[in-house]
Amino acid sequence: MDIEVAEERDADALVLLPVGRLDSANARAFEAIVMERIGAGEQRMVVDFSRLNFISSSGMRVLLLAAKQLHASKGTLVLCSMQDHIHEVFRISGFDQIIPIRDSREAAVAGS
Amino acid sequence: MADELQVSIPGRLSEVDAVARRVEEFGDAHGLPGPKVYVINLALDELITNVVSYGFGGVAEPEIRITLRVEGGALVLIVEDNGQPFDPTREVATDITSPLAERPVGGLGLHLVKSFADRLSYEFADGRNRVVVEHDLASASV
Repeated sequence: MDIEVAEERDADALVLLPVGRLDSANARAFEAIVMERIGAGEQRMVVDFSRLNFISSSGMRVLLLAAKQLHASKGTLVLCSMQDHIHEVFRISGFDQIIPIRDSREAAVAGS
Repeated sequence: MADELQVSIPGRLSEVDAVARRVEEFGDAHGLPGPKVYVINLALDELITNVVSYGFGGVAEPEIRITLRVEGGALVLIVEDNGQPFDPTREVATDITSPLAERPVGGLGLHLVKSFADRLSYEFADGRNRVVVEHDLASASV
């Protein structure tokens, strides 16, 4: 299953905006996109959740892998613009302690 | 819409989206809050992923049956499958505190299901796993 991911350049950060659902059916497709960009040398990545209305642990797994990979190469991954119930899932998973989450795209780009 | 949603799907991850749409329609028809519909679809994605990934080895016709209804002030989700016996309610330590570099990848799905559910039960009977996940509609958290 495919996933639509909009990509925008903001300052020197690459902003990814996955659209709709990021679930067990399309997480591998999202992983392929994210890892390709990191492999191509992106060091400052922002994932903007404003167009995402569903994420499960399969999608979160990809973000953890990306954060680890970027951390290892002194890069950064910052997430932003999450709906409250999605933020709660990140809190329960303890992901909010290891991956920065900002309220706005501006704050994420500034802090990435 | 009927007071109960019943869906039977073959054991494939690609079926998850279609089920999620049916759950959203059920939620709209019954005026359920968006966050509640989200946690039901989250539980469904995690439970279906689990059984499809680990439960169907050697099973000729993998099948998952999903039932969702509102009952006594709670949303009751029942997921049944004809895969290998597996109890998702058993205690598993999930690491949610290690620093980024040491944080293990995976194992979060059932932790999420357990964390959000108000009640969770499991039985294996007549060759089927049966997981019941209940979310109280009155509880403030998602």
